[in-house]
Amino acid sequence: MTIGETCLALIFALAVLLCIYAASQAHDAAFAFHAYVSAAASAVAVLAIFNRYFERPAALAPQEIDGRPNYNFGPIKFSSVMAMFWGIAGFLVGLIIALQLAFPVLNFDLPWIQFGRMRPLHTSAVIFAFGGNVLLATSFYVVQKTSRVRLAGDLAPWFVVLGYNFFILIAGTGYLLGVTQGKEYAEPEWYADLWLTIVWVTYLLVFLVTLIKRKQPHIYEANWFYLAMILTIAVLHLGNNPALPVSFFGSKSYVAWGGVQDAMFQWWYGHNAVGFFLTAGFLAIMYYFVPKRAERPIYSYRLSIVHFWALIFLYIWAGPHHLHYTALPDWAQTLGMTFSIMLWMPSWGGMINGLMTLSGAWDKLRTDPVLRMLVVSVAFYGMSTFEGPMMSIKVVNSLSHYTDWTIGHVHSGALGWVGFVSFGALYCLFPWLWNRRLYSLKLVNWHFWTATIGIVLYISAMWVSGILQGLMWRAYTSLGFLEYSFIETVEAMHPFYVIRAAGGALFLIGALIMAYNLWMTVRVGEASESETPRVALSPAE
Amino acid sequence: MKAIVTIQNLASDLVVTGWTPIFIGIFVAIVVYALWPKNQAMFDAASKLPLREE
Repeated sequence: MTIGETCLALIFALAVLLCIYAASQAHDAAFAFHAYVSAAASAVAVLAIFNRYFERPAALAPQEIDGRPNYNFGPIKFSSVMAMFWGIAGFLVGLIIALQLAFPVLNFDLPWIQFGRMRPLHTSAVIFAFGGNVLLATSFYVVQKTSRVRLAGDLAPWFVVLGYNFFILIAGTGYLLGVTQGKEYAEPEWYADLWLTIVWVTYLLVFLVTLIKRKQPHIYEANWFYLAMILTIAVLHLGNNPALPVSFFGSKSYVAWGGVQDAMFQWWYGHNAVGFFLTAGFLAIMYYFVPKRAERPIYSYRLSIVHFWALIFLYIWAGPHHLHYTALPDWAQTLGMTFSIMLWMPSWGGMINGLMTLSGAWDKLRTDPVLRMLVVSVAFYGMSTFEGPMMSIKVVNSLSHYTDWTIGHVHSGALGWVGFVSFGALYCLFPWLWNRRLYSLKLVNWHFWTATIGIVLYISAMWVSGILQGLMWRAYTSLGFLEYSFIETVEAMHPFYVIRAAGGALFLIGALIMAYNLWMTVRVGEASESETPRVALSPAE
Repeated sequence: MKAIVTIQNLASDLVVTGWTPIFIGIFVAIVVYALWPKNQAMFDAASKLPLREE
């Protein structure tokens, strides 16, 4: 056995004992459940390490075969499949909670499936489980291909993808059992946070070492975006989550920060989770997959460098716009608003760069629905990054804050940008990884239109609903009384909630079509003729 | 109370009051690097990396 295999097997064997002991001492049932699940997972990890050792040849996989890099696709295949699984689970839970808002009877008076617990399950499943697995899969693929080198580490890449998905399992089951530290998008409790820290640092090391041993002198632009995402998420996670557990054998903890400092940390984290996880990471996908699929180099490499650094310099300051008209000092709110408005420039620079890559090849949008999906995602990126800064302006925010407009804005970014760019990337990745032709482009077309109509229904319903809601809240009678009671505003939302659920259902149906298409690609798809695509190296005219 | 001038205080003053020009300076340097005419050939080659894979 290698030193890595021996050490990891010993650590997991020790973890089995520790977890069983923790379960025996547990103060609450949810913690005991998580301790037993962790013990079982650790035992499986030990078995898997030994099983792999006995199955594999004596020598580890070579770095190169016949002078060509021996790429490591195993962990990427796993993450791609998990992305599809969690995507469907997350969209389904989203549909359920949309229906719960329209028809509250669907909470069924059961604590585990009531809206308050299902909502973080939905957000975490789509952002961290679906989006996270897409980022893991694509980053491991892109860094290998553009560096011409095998992924660093033997067990480490597997540890990252399996460990990350185990974190999702602990976080998700925790929400349903009522385990939460109450921070939006950072709900997992202290032990899940610690585990994620270990996994994420390993991810950073695997990515960095792969870059360090690259065979290309230049680090391709997409890798800068991935690296920024990995590094910043590590900093954000550590900054927002320091907490003191009530006991080492219980799930409850108290966050170190208090009062408005806690709010500021929370939204510094929250907005940069959007900025670095959902933007920088997925821009990396744009910078690799759009040129690759369009078979043209990126429109302007210079612009991509300015885009990257402008985004990095500006995004980190935008968080306070989540705290307009709160106890946060006014200057900090204005600072957040100012930086948000400045973000227009890099965001649109990036969007123009992505779209203009199609220069001279626009006809491909007619014939290739996968490319169309990627390009429409960039258009949605432009739209939602126009809307976001606009909503951060204080007078606009005084109308939009706490209303459904925010939900509409988030979903035009999440479904249109992150969702579509991920779908496009997965439609590319599955055939490349399994060396197959995509089963059906017609089904991609069906997915595209079903999901697009779903998004339009969703976001237009939320815009109307949100502005209506905001105007009703601030309406006064001639005598100075509020014109509407709160419940009247809730009643007015009902038709839009139904339309929103219909939009979500269409988006889910699209994803199911995709899952079938990818399944058939792997199972019965024809072998691809060649891995090397036809390339047109002339720059865009 | 009047602050005592030490190396540490000078350094922290520089960081606290000077980060805006420092960051702007770094950013301007990056833009100059990106637009420098001699770098064009390197960027052209880099932009073709995804298309020239094995």
